[in-house]
Amino acid sequence: MRRTTLRAATLIAALLVTAAVTAGGIPPRPEKLTFPPLTFNVPDPGAMRFTLDNGIPVYGKSDRLLPLITVQVLFRGGAYMVPKGKEGLDAIAGKAWRTGGAGDRTAQQLDEDLDFLAANLSTSIGNTTGSVRLNILAKDLDQGLKILMDVLTRPRFQADRFAKAKDDLIQEMKKRNDDSADIERREWSRLVYGDDFWINHLATKASVDSITADDARAFVASLIKAGNIVVAVSGDYDRAAMKTALDATLGTLPKGDSPLPPVPRAAQPAAPGVYVVDKPDVNQGRVSAGELGVSLGDPDEFALRVGNDILGGGGFTSWITKRVRSDEGLAYSAGSYFSFPAQYPGFFRAFFQSKSRTCPGALAITMKLIGKLRTDKVSADELKTAKSSFIETFPRRFESAERTAALFARDELMGIPHDYWKSYREKVAAVDPGAILQAARKHLHPEKMFILVVGNLDEIMKGHPDYPAKLTDFGEIHRIPLRDPLTLEPLSEQ
Amino acid sequence: MRIHRTAATGLAILALTLGALPATAQEAKVPVQRVTLDNGMELLMVERHESPTISAGWVAHVGSVNERPGITGIAHLFEHMMFKGTQTIGTKDYAAEKKIMDRLDAVRAQMEQEYTKLRAAKRRGEVKGNIYAPENQTPRLKELRATMKELQDEQHKLIVKDEFDKVYTSEGGSGLNAFTNEDMTVFFITVPANKLELWFWMESDRLLHPVFREFYSERDVVREERRMRVESDPIAKFEEQFGSMFWTSIPYHHPVIGWPSDVESISRQQADQFFGTFYAPNNITAVLVGDFDPKNAVALAKKYFGRIPRGAHEPPEMITEEIKQLQEKRMSAEAETNPMVEIRWHTVPFVHKDKYALEILSSILNGRTGRLYKSLVEKQHLATGEPYAWNNSMKYDGAFEIGAEVADGHTHQEIEDALLAEIERLKKEPVGDHELQKVKNQSLADSYRRLQSNFYLLLQLLIYDAEGNWQELNEAPARMQAVTAAEVQRVAQEYFTAEDRNIMWYSRKAGTTEDPELAKLSGQAKQAAKQMLRQLEQVKDPGQLQQIITKLESGKDQAPPQFKPALELVVERAKKRLETMQSKSGEEK
Repeated sequence: MRRTTLRAATLIAALLVTAAVTAGGIPPRPEKLTFPPLTFNVPDPGAMRFTLDNGIPVYGKSDRLLPLITVQVLFRGGAYMVPKGKEGLDAIAGKAWRTGGAGDRTAQQLDEDLDFLAANLSTSIGNTTGSVRLNILAKDLDQGLKILMDVLTRPRFQADRFAKAKDDLIQEMKKRNDDSADIERREWSRLVYGDDFWINHLATKASVDSITADDARAFVASLIKAGNIVVAVSGDYDRAAMKTALDATLGTLPKGDSPLPPVPRAAQPAAPGVYVVDKPDVNQGRVSAGELGVSLGDPDEFALRVGNDILGGGGFTSWITKRVRSDEGLAYSAGSYFSFPAQYPGFFRAFFQSKSRTCPGALAITMKLIGKLRTDKVSADELKTAKSSFIETFPRRFESAERTAALFARDELMGIPHDYWKSYREKVAAVDPGAILQAARKHLHPEKMFILVVGNLDEIMKGHPDYPAKLTDFGEIHRIPLRDPLTLEPLSEQ
Repeated sequence: MRIHRTAATGLAILALTLGALPATAQEAKVPVQRVTLDNGMELLMVERHESPTISAGWVAHVGSVNERPGITGIAHLFEHMMFKGTQTIGTKDYAAEKKIMDRLDAVRAQMEQEYTKLRAAKRRGEVKGNIYAPENQTPRLKELRATMKELQDEQHKLIVKDEFDKVYTSEGGSGLNAFTNEDMTVFFITVPANKLELWFWMESDRLLHPVFREFYSERDVVREERRMRVESDPIAKFEEQFGSMFWTSIPYHHPVIGWPSDVESISRQQADQFFGTFYAPNNITAVLVGDFDPKNAVALAKKYFGRIPRGAHEPPEMITEEIKQLQEKRMSAEAETNPMVEIRWHTVPFVHKDKYALEILSSILNGRTGRLYKSLVEKQHLATGEPYAWNNSMKYDGAFEIGAEVADGHTHQEIEDALLAEIERLKKEPVGDHELQKVKNQSLADSYRRLQSNFYLLLQLLIYDAEGNWQELNEAPARMQAVTAAEVQRVAQEYFTAEDRNIMWYSRKAGTTEDPELAKLSGQAKQAAKQMLRQLEQVKDPGQLQQIITKLESGKDQAPPQFKPALELVVERAKKRLETMQSKSGEEK
């Protein structure tokens, strides 16, 4: 009897509690919801790979939902191979390649035929790689591949379209000094890699003027060789039929003679110090501080990625943003990042934009925080937030068959092992406070960094009464002149 | 509750008309499952398991066309209010907040009495300009405004700012956003596949227990939005008036963002009424696209959305029709823009059978290999950029517009004549087989491309549903393929009449120049680019920006041809901006 009463009471109490917590099984707040774990397996690149008769590797991901096929021809080579005096060739050739006609088709005929096939074809040449992408109805694949082969092997670079590509680039160059962000980007690259590094070989009016359709033709021909290509295909196809179709076209490309020259890696970063571009007409200074870094695949890459997320990469919760922006209100934008290129060294850069007079004050805070990553262990909470942001967004890299196929093809092209993605989340998860501390000590040297300031020098030099720091605290001041946008010759100081 | 599989009828049409097409064309049918809840809410579902995410959204079948004079802009204001939270989300103490909001409403009602007096004074000519402007404030209004400010500050202490957004973001949701147009108000987000229940929780909570907190300050935000998008935009302010001139009687006549006099006077009571009428579940369709189990989704829909009571009355039907235009209308504007000409005619509603021929006709004119570019740019050198043609069929009526930018050394009249000559040609001779086949091929391929991304598929279902037929998704491709040259000729003759023309001439205001890259774009694309660039400026989070770039890039293939150059420019600018930020993951959301 007693026991029954007790049980009934317990039951009622339990019911009451449940009623308070959930109405109809609906929790009162979203935080009370529980979610099943999200499982996501990285697709297997090995299963996607096959090779053509001439050895071209292909990564294929069939997706039969829609009768479309995408073929991407990815190739090594790009801006780093452009000869001296022809700067800008990569951009012009990349554009006029598609617009200038191919094979027996004039530019207009090529446009017309591609439109009739409802196909999209695009070409581009980047820093160290380029691509030609065809998206076409599955039923028209054979015709599309024929046109693709013409574009790859017999580009016409028709005169009117070639002239337009050159003109477009000149128009673009004219704006080089309009925005202080553009100046900052250009000068930062010069500080990190040095004037002789290929990345800093920029187009001038003279170099663009000297570029001919023959230059573009020769440049493209030097890149389109079987030994230099990896292909990604995705969409509505059958693997055997696709291999046959590709063997009959891309598979006939000659292997090519010698491999391309390697991407030069030897950078000559600037000496520590403060480098200033005086722009008296702006009231906000753009400030960057950093040093030469490492490439993708460095043993410390993931410790640096996660560590930087906490230092300045993770938005509001990151140290630099929180201190410089939220606490002190010194900048709207402030943070830091590492770049990890696959084929040459990257860099670390901390940055902010602040009112001219508070630039030195904000810089002092920023440099101190960079130092802090070398001396203090990050907290468990900070680490957890940073890691989950990498892990949560990871599956988006594989959100379509096209993205997945292109990702793996690009990896092979650049020599990135496929295991990089398979173990990506484990590598993030394995980072601990000790690893971040160690990596920061090895790769971040606040006292040896170069600092770039673009802004009103007179005002910045004055500093701010609330912040004792002066620009001269951070090293010797070097003036960098503005450059003529078309010749890149230094402009005399006003 | 019923579950329908997609009807087989669409397939039958395809089989009849697409003889020339491969079997795979039929496989492109999107299998949409439809469920109607007991309260009248509809749920459309498309399962896709390529990536572990779900794009989710819902549409309220209400837009500016459902507004009446006095409350224009309220549908769009609601879009904003729906992000203000609920009785649970966005507050530290709802009960305390509620008391303050009631007092705010009382103060506001007293202010409204003052405004009534000011309106009367304005009619008599004693007050000039905007009655809400600071210089027209009466002492009583100043007093009331001060009280209001105090109350708002008090309420502010109880508010958890942007909590609705934060809950989603911290659970891996991305791209939370909404839009309003003439016919609909649409809300959407993408969530990780395991967070479907969170979506149901959040969305049902804001439909069931919405709190229109910060109502009066949000109204000011919308007023600012109007200033930014319409009044400070060199073209938008004229387009608004051109649109009002074009639509005479149908309520497409007023702008989606509302007339300024109305936006500044809408009260919270009016908002409550509006919500009760139009945000009832029987006026809403929810859509899910992505990696989920429909059985589970239906169970969650019943559990969460099922608890929202059906509206007391069905939303009133919109019955006002556009009156027939008797004579050509013209407008000209001096603006900070390149000189251009636009010509607009009335056409047909979204579900009308002639829409497909009008779409095909616009494609004949559009693009680098279309008739307008070849004739006006390449052959006659009269126009710069890319001239465009566009059929815009909305729920209750439609418009067709063509336009082009005047090249240096040529006149508006030359462009107008050349544009009209192309229209006359369409009336006189049927389009050739090859030309027709070209645009049909493009139409078909684009219809597939539009299905590639879950998010775009979601948007299409939401939009088509609100325009009157979600099955458009699967039916349109076949109906486009079935259009004949004779039909194209007939619709040209029927709709492009001399008396129905509306012609706009823009000339450059003296002493103004334009962003040279924008200048290269044609009218519509330029407007789109400008708007996107402005919106881009609002994005402060690199992650979000990266997502936008990815979406824009994947969307490039799917965009109508006249918008492609605009998208390319926007992507380029966005990338540049991202590069500057990259780092700066530090910026504000």
